[in-house]
Amino acid sequence: MAIIEGADARGVERVERLDRIWRERPGLTGWLTTTDHKRIGLMYLVTSLLFFAAGGVEALIMRTQLATAGERVVGPERYDQLMTMHGVTMIFFFVIPLSTGAFGNYLIPLMIGARDMAFPRLNALSFWLFLGSGILFYTGLAIGQAPDAGWFNYVPLASRQYSPGLGIDFYALGLILNGASSTVAAANFLVTIAKLRAPGMSLNRMPLFCYANLAASFSLLFALPVLTVDLMFLELSRKFGLHFFDPGRGGQPLLWQDLFWFFGHPEVYIIVLPAFGIATSIIPTFTRRRMAAFPLVALAELLVAFIGFGVWVHHMFTTGLPTIALVFFAAASLIIVIPSGIQIYAWCMTMVTGSPEFRTPLLFIVGFILFFVFGGLSGITLAAVPFDQQVTDTYYVVAHFHYVIWGAAVFPLLGGLYYWFPKVTGRMYHERMGQISFWLVFAGTNVTFFPMHISGLLGMPRRVFTYPGNLGWGPENFVSTLGAFLLTGGLVLIAVNLVYSRLRGEPAGPNPFGAPTLEWTTTSPPPPYNFAVIPEVTSPYPGWDDPTREADTRRLERGELVLEHGHETPATTPVDGRLDEIVSMPSDSPWPITLAAVTTIGFAMVLSNHLIGAAIMAALAAAALCAWHAHEPEAG
Amino acid sequence: MTAVAPAQAARPNGWYGMLMLIASEATIFGALIATYAYLRFNTVAWPPRGVATPSATAPVILALVLLLTAAPVFLAVRAAAAGRRGSAIGLLAGAFVVQAVYLAIQAHLYADQLSTLHADASAYASIYYTLLAVHHAHVGVGLLLELWIMGRLATGWTPYRRTALSAIALYWYFVAVAGLAVTATTLYPAW
Amino acid sequence: MLFAGCNSNQSIVNPATEQARQIDRLWWAMFVGAMVVFATVVFLLVLAFVRRRTAPSHDDRRPYMVVVGGGFVAPVVLLAILFGFVIDVMPAVSTPPAGSTRMTVVVIGHQYFWEFRYPGTGAITANELHLPANTPVEIAVRTADVIHSFWVPRLNRKIDMIPGRTNRIEIDAPTPGVYRGQCSEFCGEGHALMAFDVIVQPPAAFRQWLANQQQTPPAPSGVAAAGLQVFQSAGCGSCHMIAGTSAVGQVGPDLTHVGSRSTIAALTLPNTPQALYDWITDPQRYKPGARMPGFSSLPAGQRHSLVAYLESLR
Repeated sequence: MAIIEGADARGVERVERLDRIWRERPGLTGWLTTTDHKRIGLMYLVTSLLFFAAGGVEALIMRTQLATAGERVVGPERYDQLMTMHGVTMIFFFVIPLSTGAFGNYLIPLMIGARDMAFPRLNALSFWLFLGSGILFYTGLAIGQAPDAGWFNYVPLASRQYSPGLGIDFYALGLILNGASSTVAAANFLVTIAKLRAPGMSLNRMPLFCYANLAASFSLLFALPVLTVDLMFLELSRKFGLHFFDPGRGGQPLLWQDLFWFFGHPEVYIIVLPAFGIATSIIPTFTRRRMAAFPLVALAELLVAFIGFGVWVHHMFTTGLPTIALVFFAAASLIIVIPSGIQIYAWCMTMVTGSPEFRTPLLFIVGFILFFVFGGLSGITLAAVPFDQQVTDTYYVVAHFHYVIWGAAVFPLLGGLYYWFPKVTGRMYHERMGQISFWLVFAGTNVTFFPMHISGLLGMPRRVFTYPGNLGWGPENFVSTLGAFLLTGGLVLIAVNLVYSRLRGEPAGPNPFGAPTLEWTTTSPPPPYNFAVIPEVTSPYPGWDDPTREADTRRLERGELVLEHGHETPATTPVDGRLDEIVSMPSDSPWPITLAAVTTIGFAMVLSNHLIGAAIMAALAAAALCAWHAHEPEAG
Repeated sequence: MTAVAPAQAARPNGWYGMLMLIASEATIFGALIATYAYLRFNTVAWPPRGVATPSATAPVILALVLLLTAAPVFLAVRAAAAGRRGSAIGLLAGAFVVQAVYLAIQAHLYADQLSTLHADASAYASIYYTLLAVHHAHVGVGLLLELWIMGRLATGWTPYRRTALSAIALYWYFVAVAGLAVTATTLYPAW
Repeated sequence: MLFAGCNSNQSIVNPATEQARQIDRLWWAMFVGAMVVFATVVFLLVLAFVRRRTAPSHDDRRPYMVVVGGGFVAPVVLLAILFGFVIDVMPAVSTPPAGSTRMTVVVIGHQYFWEFRYPGTGAITANELHLPANTPVEIAVRTADVIHSFWVPRLNRKIDMIPGRTNRIEIDAPTPGVYRGQCSEFCGEGHALMAFDVIVQPPAAFRQWLANQQQTPPAPSGVAAAGLQVFQSAGCGSCHMIAGTSAVGQVGPDLTHVGSRSTIAALTLPNTPQALYDWITDPQRYKPGARMPGFSSLPAGQRHSLVAYLESLR
């Protein structure tokens, strides 16, 4: 705002031209055909939060069933469905789409000073495929054929012989489609971060949020295909009787597990890396200090992603593998502690040496650090092979990964919702209500998940719909259930706060927190073209180098990198961030949503054994792609 | 007006995008080949008793032919860069014909083998046919991409199409190299 | 208070063998170490809160020292110690070397019960694993269908039962007693109700039990004889086995000595005539997903004589 307001008549005229060029279609059509990363991010946000609500309700039903021994709220058949839906929903339809799809999409172009993602139409395709996969997956539940073999879906339980319904097919095909969406999104992030950074943003000046997203996208790109192959084997077995897992025909049941966890463990870091990124955004802002040990933190984020590929066997310590394999993977699982440790102490030391102001977003980050350290420490105990062989598949593990995935991965997302709320809506959230919601959610999390450590140590296995009353697990379970409702109360309060503030909040202005990254240099909410003038970057915290953005105003007046002649954004060299070319960006297109719809229908046809229909859908998809590329963005 | 650097230092975004796609496709092939090895080393008889060792001659020749078709594709990119649109299309068409014949012969071999060894006979047969089918599908997609870019080039020349051509060329290099890996894997019993 | 249930019979922190004790020690060592590390982080956060500098310090030297010290040096040292500890405990809980055990029991997992075979004796039982005290026993686990996991926390770690392979662990329980075990790999609808008891007996009592298990039960008389008739006419023998009769089914538990067991349906119900009667009438009511169909269509009198017969199989 300040940039434009300070500008002279030439500058204002340029901004008006930008407004005209980047104007979007009004109404619903605008949303369905949009390629604006911010709108796509918001659609991701709303959709993933709806799935979160669904996954949360599933969890509450399970917790109610487990409140006391021998409860009869749901039977095992329904419970197993809930357990599977809850796991898959929270991982594939909530955390990943929220952290990469919503936060990544909305923020990355803004943080690197770009006007959109590298492939805006592909970005739209990612979202619509994600939505399609979610609809497909939940159709199973709607028609009473929900998957019930757990999110890990081990064979032979998931084979046609032991799971004859369509439930597992909804799981496999839904996740292949979901994986396609995430792969495409990851490729888009990688190219965007490599190529579209504003001039001057060499790698050492890139925000740590982007490093985290880079690392997560890298992991997604190489981990998801392995899951896809695994799921393909499963479907080929189920639909056409092929043998990959059947030892009677030369197959291996453990093949499923090896491929699944080769994906599944990097997945954990994919989930938690964006949270690191959010923490490294919020901490500097509220401590008025640059991240301590910045290069080490950046390196650590990347290392986590790399090492994450070498630890999968620690999910299989009880399968009877040779000792040497166990030792190797135990060592790898311990080594990954180091990059995490570096980040933890860097966050803490930034707060110790900074001047922290404990507002709602920072409170959530403090909670995150506590949960991450606690869950990380219990994770180390699971790398200790003999102990893991005792507690794996008990509630101890449930406690551990909820501390990590819920406490550590989702808390920053909640903090991030508050933190970027003023940017996205132009209004402030209610601070006091925000702090109360933090304490409710923080307490709720501990009350829910802490007792599970104990019930696990007392021998309570996971994935049981009921348990006997004489083994001492009653109090822990009852407290957990109370905690789940407390936690829900806190989450509802967050929702109330954000909805209320959206309508009644104080106007926020472009930078209410005095934050240092580029997204805070533009208006709140940002215009469709993000920046009236592509900012020039002098450090990882450009907002603190020049709080008034005076230089940008002058450049706007001179017309330097305003690019007011078309849908354009600068591309820079991947390492040094030197200006390389001006690329033309596509604008709205009906084809991404069409392609996604056709693809989803095609998958549904494979699922219901209409193979000819599926082939027709494939042909339609090819036609949609031709139509997509018939419109070529051109320099204006 | 706008400050455009005179010559591009980095490849276009579309080329990078294709590189990312290839990275994930390569991971798919990697996982399939790893599965082949995984199943093989957990089994005594490979291929199972009564199953003939695949014959090497035709697949090896075909894989080499597919690799050679990378040359006209490469030359087509060069020609297009030099503004010789006609020869670019010609070279692509040449590559296309050879690749299409390649795919036809492969499909024939595939169907032929299926008549004696069913895909659901054993883990060996399942991974063998799956690996080949995934590669053939990639060749098929490559043919469609080539057809499309030839059509686009025939109607004119834009930076968008230039990027598309370089991306499609990159895809073909990948498919050709993946072909070698797949052939080497599926012929493992004949080594 | 937190560990009020520590002495529970399926508790990891209530070890009854050397193996379980070693794992328990590993746990408590890790617990103490973890709490120390956790305390340093809490200390830093409290320090940040208490100090709340009015102006940030931009000097990065001290943070670097803490980050490298806390994030690299300390973990390397602590993890090396932990790794040594792990390596030290692992042999005790690994596959027992050939010849290191005195007997072998084969455990076969089924949806949703446990089958125990004593090789060389012909004895087969279900859901109650009898072992001699003070004797190293090799437990060889397999599965008849999906993946299960054999787990008796007080005696040793768990081991998965995977199609196509046999995994082995050792149990060497010094003290006679009853130890609870439970399936710990999700195996379907009946997973939660797939438990078993390990009954460790003094060696002499164990030998006596084993000898009895090898006996073919005597021909029944009276009501029980009528029960045998029902057993055969209702088709029970197509799933269950009873030595000395025509029943040779392999789907459900072996019932040759079912009357000697203290529970039925993998610890779901006590083995009383009433519970057995209810179970035969409607198994799905007590254990949804159980493979056994209900026999409410049999006249009540037939069901009672069936129960009498089964209870006589001691």
